[in-house]
Amino acid sequence: MDTPLREPTFLILTALAREPMHGYAIIGEVAALSDGRLSLRPGTLYGALDRLTDAGLVELDREETVDGRLRRYYRLSPTGDATLAAESERLRRNVEAATARLRARRVRALAPRTAGGLA
Amino acid sequence: MTGLERRYRRLLLAYPADYRRDRGDEIVGTYLDLAGPERRWPTLADAADLVRGGLRQRLRAAGATDLVPGVRLAGLLALVTATFLAAFWAFVEQQPPPAEWGVPRFGPFVSTGVIAWFAWLVPAILTLVAPGRPTRAAVAVAMLATVAVPVVSLAGGVPRPPLYVLVPQFTLGVLALAVSSRLPLPARVLPIAAAVAGAGTAAYLVGHGSYWGWYGWTTEQLLPAVGGVLLAIALLLAMGLAVRRDGRGGWALAALLTPVGLLNVHKLAGAVEGLHRAPNPTFPTLVATALMVGLLGPAVLPVAVALRRRRGAEPTGPAGPAEP
Repeated sequence: MDTPLREPTFLILTALAREPMHGYAIIGEVAALSDGRLSLRPGTLYGALDRLTDAGLVELDREETVDGRLRRYYRLSPTGDATLAAESERLRRNVEAATARLRARRVRALAPRTAGGLA
Repeated sequence: MTGLERRYRRLLLAYPADYRRDRGDEIVGTYLDLAGPERRWPTLADAADLVRGGLRQRLRAAGATDLVPGVRLAGLLALVTATFLAAFWAFVEQQPPPAEWGVPRFGPFVSTGVIAWFAWLVPAILTLVAPGRPTRAAVAVAMLATVAVPVVSLAGGVPRPPLYVLVPQFTLGVLALAVSSRLPLPARVLPIAAAVAGAGTAAYLVGHGSYWGWYGWTTEQLLPAVGGVLLAIALLLAMGLAVRRDGRGGWALAALLTPVGLLNVHKLAGAVEGLHRAPNPTFPTLVATALMVGLLGPAVLPVAVALRRRRGAEPTGPAGPAEP
């Protein structure tokens, strides 16, 4: 699996980090996690789940039939857990670095000028 | 089974049969869960999603998951080539024959080709600053401008570039639509660098009196040369990537065969008629050769996928981004 993960992949893994879910629930969870920005379609989602399964990040948990419709539940594998943790840590460090720089920049902008300028 | 479910199942035919048996109920069930009670037909976006998903699954089943990244690579090379040619022609379009010669011209330009050539410079700039959808939209606009060139010429009774200049440009555009949204900075600079090189080459030729003020002679020299360079680069890429067990270069090469063939259509048509006639074949042979290249070239990819499937080969090298 290529890293860094793209946002849809990251959010699918994040959705499954809470509990095993079926496709419809994953689509809803990804939409909620992204504040409605990402709307996965089933063809795209199941293709992604196939590739994540091939990469060993996601596993089949169980199957159920609800109202005559087949539902397969997927769960995060131990490898998926580790990949998501590593990616979260990478993003956290990036956010911390950006936040620190922005904070310093604002402090500089607010500080009174004590030197230079017109005499 | 409702009408909506039946229609979704019809769209599922895009997937391989064994995959449909295994996952069809699950995929259709999810679509039905998502559909509102009033929905009777799948949306266009649903149809596109299923066709795209089915195509990807067929490639995966054939062990050709590196085809899409390979075509994206070909898209970048096509865009670079199209930009080089557009900048070349945009420069020479500004060198019309003197008005006193009485040769027809398109305002201050040689022909209506100028409409297309300047349109082609927009995606070059956008690749650098806004790769992805804006670039692809600009490529689509440039392709429309290319199609508009003979229409404007016909309507206004003004000169246009020969069709054997416009057709390869349009074909390069078809491939350029596949250019990736995620390009590293050096790759994003390539189209603009190609534009500078194209304009520079034209300026050199004009400055040394090698340009005759019309497309004919210049085209017969330039197009095969550009096609040859494109083929050589694609071959080197294919070999270089194959060493790393990366199949993208091979697919890129296969995808580029059509524009390379059309850039060399003079030579190919000449060869059809007998080498002594090249590069001045008769018009019917030129058209027939262009049609053959246009039909056979795109068939290379599906044939290669079928061969890969038959061999049951494992996908070579990285399968590209495994993301939705």
